[in-house]
Amino acid sequence: MKQLSRLSAVALAATMMATSPIPAFTPAEAATLSGGFDVGPGGFQGNFNPLAATAGFTWLSVYYEPLVAYDEKLQKVVGILASSYEVSPDQKTYTFKLADAKWHDGKPFTAKDAKFTMELAKNAKTGSVLVARLTPVSSVETPDDHTLVVNLSTPSASILDTMTKVMMLPEHALSSIPADQLAKSTWWSTSPVGTGPFRFTRYVTDQYVELAANTDYRGGKPALEKVINRYFADPAAAIAALRAGEIQFTYVDSNDVPAFRGDKSFKVIEGNSFVVNYLGFNHDSPIWKDVRVRQAVMYAINREAIIKSLYGGAATPANCAYIADRLVPKDTEPYAYDPEKAKQLLKEAGWEKINGTKPITLLTYYTTPLATNVLAAVQAMLAQVGINVVPRAVDAPTYNSIVLKADADTSQFQMVYAGLQNGPDAGSINPGLNEKQIPPAGPNVVRARMPDLTSALDAALAETDAGKRDARYQQVCKVMNTNLPWGTLWVANRYGVVSAKVKDFVWTPAPGGGPYQANPQKWSIAE
Amino acid sequence: MLRYSLRRLIIGIGMLLALSALIFLLLRLTPGDPIDAYIDPNIPMSPSDLAELRSSLGLDRPLPVQYLAWLGQALEGNLGYSIKRLDQPVLGLVLSRIGPTILLMGTALLMAIVVGIAIGVIGAVRRNSVADISFSFFALAGISSPAFLSALIGLYVFSVRLKWAPSGGMLTPGDEFSIIDLLRHLVLPAALLAIAQAALIMRYTRASMLEVLNQDYVRTARAKGVVEFWVISKHALRNALLPVVTLIGSTIGLAIGGAIFIESVFNWPGMGLLLVDAVETRDYPVIMGATLVIGTCVISVNLLTDIAYAVIDPRIKVG
Repeated sequence: MKQLSRLSAVALAATMMATSPIPAFTPAEAATLSGGFDVGPGGFQGNFNPLAATAGFTWLSVYYEPLVAYDEKLQKVVGILASSYEVSPDQKTYTFKLADAKWHDGKPFTAKDAKFTMELAKNAKTGSVLVARLTPVSSVETPDDHTLVVNLSTPSASILDTMTKVMMLPEHALSSIPADQLAKSTWWSTSPVGTGPFRFTRYVTDQYVELAANTDYRGGKPALEKVINRYFADPAAAIAALRAGEIQFTYVDSNDVPAFRGDKSFKVIEGNSFVVNYLGFNHDSPIWKDVRVRQAVMYAINREAIIKSLYGGAATPANCAYIADRLVPKDTEPYAYDPEKAKQLLKEAGWEKINGTKPITLLTYYTTPLATNVLAAVQAMLAQVGINVVPRAVDAPTYNSIVLKADADTSQFQMVYAGLQNGPDAGSINPGLNEKQIPPAGPNVVRARMPDLTSALDAALAETDAGKRDARYQQVCKVMNTNLPWGTLWVANRYGVVSAKVKDFVWTPAPGGGPYQANPQKWSIAE
Repeated sequence: MLRYSLRRLIIGIGMLLALSALIFLLLRLTPGDPIDAYIDPNIPMSPSDLAELRSSLGLDRPLPVQYLAWLGQALEGNLGYSIKRLDQPVLGLVLSRIGPTILLMGTALLMAIVVGIAIGVIGAVRRNSVADISFSFFALAGISSPAFLSALIGLYVFSVRLKWAPSGGMLTPGDEFSIIDLLRHLVLPAALLAIAQAALIMRYTRASMLEVLNQDYVRTARAKGVVEFWVISKHALRNALLPVVTLIGSTIGLAIGGAIFIESVFNWPGMGLLLVDAVETRDYPVIMGATLVIGTCVISVNLLTDIAYAVIDPRIKVG
């Protein structure tokens, strides 16, 4: 018996040795900044091709650069690889003066590269997702090595916004690859060459991407030696790595923020998501035809209460697609919570006859716990006035396959809970509401057919006088506020958490990850 | 014998074909295709922007044509390119994931066997002792806790709080490869994956040992004056292990399910992580390729087992 216990003790000890006290794990050295740069809605893990990027620009712009990008507050467009740019009085010619820059392989960056990139971005064969947005571009000229002239067939208020997404690519490295083979090239994830402050060193499949300082960077030698982008399949794992000190930065969901507030080892970065959340009425469904029904939905929902209790106050009610003062006219109806008024409006509209208490499918692609709670609150509030919505959450591909179909089945989504980018370019909302963008042409998934709204949007997009543009968007806001193509809800904030040791780090929760002027060459980390 | 083996081989190939057709069909019944997965509903992007991509990927062709095209290429050893990552061929993606998964599951299995049998024996020998009761409690907790829960709790306790192990990945980013580094990353996910299996093995070992310890031949051995250690290890354990060995084989399925969660939480670059990601993005070629490779492995193992039975046990008639 004694021998047996000795045997088992040895066995146990052996298994415990195999499962624990390893020497304490040491994070990477100090001159390296690791982060979950592709965690969250602005990220795109596994994509290395800027032409195919629908998101992920925060990371891509650490080694690639566009000609222009937003400033860190996402308010105006500033030069990056263009030292300056000019717009002709008729708004049809954009002239970019290019900075004296070098590719990571030492070759000079010239206007020919910029022209080459523009042509790739306009060519659908390359798999570019920018083709439709670059339609106004009629020709690109290179009068000299440091000047790029972009000519438009018609003025376009959003062309600069699109230009921020066009990451410059080297002609000498890519011109030999046929356009239709470009997306399949291994160049993107093995030996890409950019002009940014860091250069690509390696990608360890599904683990991380490593960049090293570009010591010849025109903006000065970067303070960090390496920047590493760790991949996480699960956001909770990114937060664990942040707490364990293995990474110094990640995006976090708003319900994880309170745990970091008041913790001196971390800084919480808060920013406007530039995504307006809304209840979209499917205008193909007859139940929403009467505007009084749509108004009743607005009055029935206590948005202040939801923002306070579920968003911790970190959202702003929206009464049209916008919340910025310059875009919202003074006389906007605030649709303050008033269930009695909602009941009255429904009675006047004859809701009992229109639909009564029949269930209404409320489709969403938001599957977070926060969204589940929001929808539970919305469902309860609408039930109080006699509207019976039934939320159904599906993943984004399923949602898209239902709502983007040309002959969509209205009964599957009489209402949607969704979000749409409303800035920094105010024109971003156009595809979601313009009558000309009804699927399959575009993503006007609520099938809004409102002539007033379409003409207001068209007028705003065609406005060439920058000084008058805000007034045009105020008109869009006014029409939305009156006609209610959507029941607009709010614009929420989004968050990132960075270690307090990191200095001069610039990050903002930009839609799609930017690009914005993040100055990665200045990022540093204290010992 | 040769005829039997050949017949089994042909059946195996037929099963693979049927499997690939079934998976292909099930995938296409899933709402949304890879292009739908590409569109972020929050970002204003026209479906028409991507129509060209959809047709260049052949996703607009009739289903049987798509399946035959895939099959034709697969027979030539070309599993196509990932749609989410167009620059990466599926075969390479899948092959690079098999190693890490085998490493993780193999380590977990080894841990589960060693721990499970050791505490199962102690539990049986010291029946109703404090050790036995605590081990039984552990087993109950281990069997009833789902893998994603134990993974997250383990991550929080051992990585975030105690900092004994890294929170994820297979190697320290930026460092050169080293075995020590790999083991450090391996221990925690493997141990967590082992819990459920260890608990099962422990319960079976304990029950089986208790039964064997009451057998006449054990009493005889003790009566002969054999040292207790040898009674337990030679006479009892060897006989008690037979049903446990059968069990271990059948829990490998459980381990594959658990590995998918563990790989996601710990970002372990294995087949599970690859499959979850591929399903989320409707990356058809990757799902098909991975399923085909897993299917080939399972069918080959079964085939080998059947043939081995026939060789080892003459009572099994073949032909």
